[in-house]
Amino acid sequence: MLNSLARDVKASMSIYDAGDDQVYGLLAEFANPGELLHAAEAVHEAGFRHFDTHSPFPIHGMDKAMGLGNSIVGWITLVGGITGLSLATLMQWWMGAVDYPISISGKPFFAVEPSIPIMFELTVLLASLATAGGMFALNGLPRPYNPLFYSKNFLRVTDDAFFLHIAASDEKFDQSATASMLQELGASNVETIHDHGEEDKD
Amino acid sequence: MSETVKRSNPLVWLIDPMESTAGQADPAYRFSWSKAAWLLPLAIGVVGLVVSAIGWATDSHQFYFSYLIGWTFCLSIALGAYFFVVIQHLTKARWSVVIRRIPEALIWSFPLLAVLSIPIILGMHDLYHWTHGDLLDPASPTYDALIASKVPYLNTPFFLARLAFYFIVWTFISHKLYALSVRQDVDPDASIPQTLRKYSAAGLVLGAICTAFAGMDILMSLDPHWFSTIFGIYFFAGSFMIIMAVMALTGMTLQRFGMLQGVIKVDHYQDLGKFLFGFTVFWAYIAFSQYMLIWYGNIPEETLFYRYRMENGWGTYSAILLAGHFIIPFVVLIGRWAKRLLPLLAFMCVWMLVMHWFDYFWVAAPVLHNYKAAMSLYDIAAWLGLFGVFTAAFMYRLSRHPLVPQRDPRLHKSLTFTNS
Repeated sequence: MLNSLARDVKASMSIYDAGDDQVYGLLAEFANPGELLHAAEAVHEAGFRHFDTHSPFPIHGMDKAMGLGNSIVGWITLVGGITGLSLATLMQWWMGAVDYPISISGKPFFAVEPSIPIMFELTVLLASLATAGGMFALNGLPRPYNPLFYSKNFLRVTDDAFFLHIAASDEKFDQSATASMLQELGASNVETIHDHGEEDKD
Repeated sequence: MSETVKRSNPLVWLIDPMESTAGQADPAYRFSWSKAAWLLPLAIGVVGLVVSAIGWATDSHQFYFSYLIGWTFCLSIALGAYFFVVIQHLTKARWSVVIRRIPEALIWSFPLLAVLSIPIILGMHDLYHWTHGDLLDPASPTYDALIASKVPYLNTPFFLARLAFYFIVWTFISHKLYALSVRQDVDPDASIPQTLRKYSAAGLVLGAICTAFAGMDILMSLDPHWFSTIFGIYFFAGSFMIIMAVMALTGMTLQRFGMLQGVIKVDHYQDLGKFLFGFTVFWAYIAFSQYMLIWYGNIPEETLFYRYRMENGWGTYSAILLAGHFIIPFVVLIGRWAKRLLPLLAFMCVWMLVMHWFDYFWVAAPVLHNYKAAMSLYDIAAWLGLFGVFTAAFMYRLSRHPLVPQRDPRLHKSLTFTNS
């Protein structure tokens, strides 16, 4: 049960496990962003969940086409913000009134007025760190190893090519049926990717 | 041959400097509301001003303060519109083109506001303590060394000259921005956006200086002992916040009456909502910065400003301002859903209009009623009166031209804008 939970969490970061036969999934190339968008829509509609799209630049509407909901990163931000606010309040009070009280021109040891900037800054700091960290975690980044890198063709993803990848771990995955579906969607170069789990020799 | 738009006749010039181009409007951008669009606010305005006139006859001291608060409220909307338009041109903004005609119509409010400032100039003796000559005479028992030391800046001729200068700058830049944009609706001259940017660059710098000083002159000098170097930004923050509410409300009103269907979309409103939220927070940031530094410095001249606003019943008003102008809008508007739920956004826009007026009330009224907090009927009457007249002129201007800069090169991008 824990294993399947870990698999789902990893899948939500688009990190998929290869099957026993080392088949990681299918990689299909599309001619342009529009075709990729429509293909993603169709693949989602066909019931696939373990798939991802890759393009040299962000494509508007892709999140909707892939059926991705709103990110939960906002809630991580909220937790970070509340943590920062509480820590700052505690710190201001403890340092000013408990650990080292000094009377400065008759001001109270602890007062809200001068503490607000610190409370504000720490709220913003921890909220933004939580946001950035949460974003990386939810995206499964950094990710130095990705079986897709075994494909020579995939190198062009940062230049001029648009790819859709369906993972073998998807319940609906069937190597030949899925490949022909991708071809019907207008894909060129449908490639089977194997996860060797080792360094590229070339 | 390029088409041009003629200047309007001198009588209408005050309300709209350009001949109507409504006839050349694309049907999708046509103003199709009846004259009620401006007659209705005009009626409210006239009623408000008549009640104010009674106030002037019976309690002129109160009237001048009420009038100043209402007038500054209208001025701040025009200034917010001014900065909004200037920034859209300078950043070559695409999302905002479909709503830009609304602030463009608002920036031609400056000539009317200049005319409406006459009662303030007549009431300077009641409004501005520093105009009293006896404070400056060392032999007088009411001699005030602090105010006397500020005479080089705070004196009536210089004050009037400054006000005139601000209005000339705002009107000049606004005329360029307004007239060029209206001309662009019918004139295929491709150099217009570049010219608009040029005037916007100058307008941003000049407008910022004039606005900061205007805020200090009009509101801060009500309490001539007090000073706050951040007050100009405080004034700007409120202006730039309220223009978002005015644009969203105007857009929703026009759409409610069947205009601009499918042109302004929920995505545009969401962006206005983001700005409304952002500048509500910015206002609080500036207001708090001002408060905190005065709290820390603890200089009598400065702290008195807040003491007046915490005693004699004013504490309640200060608490209402804090809750109503910051905490409530912060909590309500922070979510994406709230900015896309248009009835809620409309409610918050009206809410912020009221709170924005209340902000100026909170700055100005305690100067008059030091010893007992009070809100007068004339405060409300002058506010609604001036805002009614201001809105009537604005709606009239809107009705005379296409509701969207229909030949703007970035209009297409704005029409297809999404906020994903």
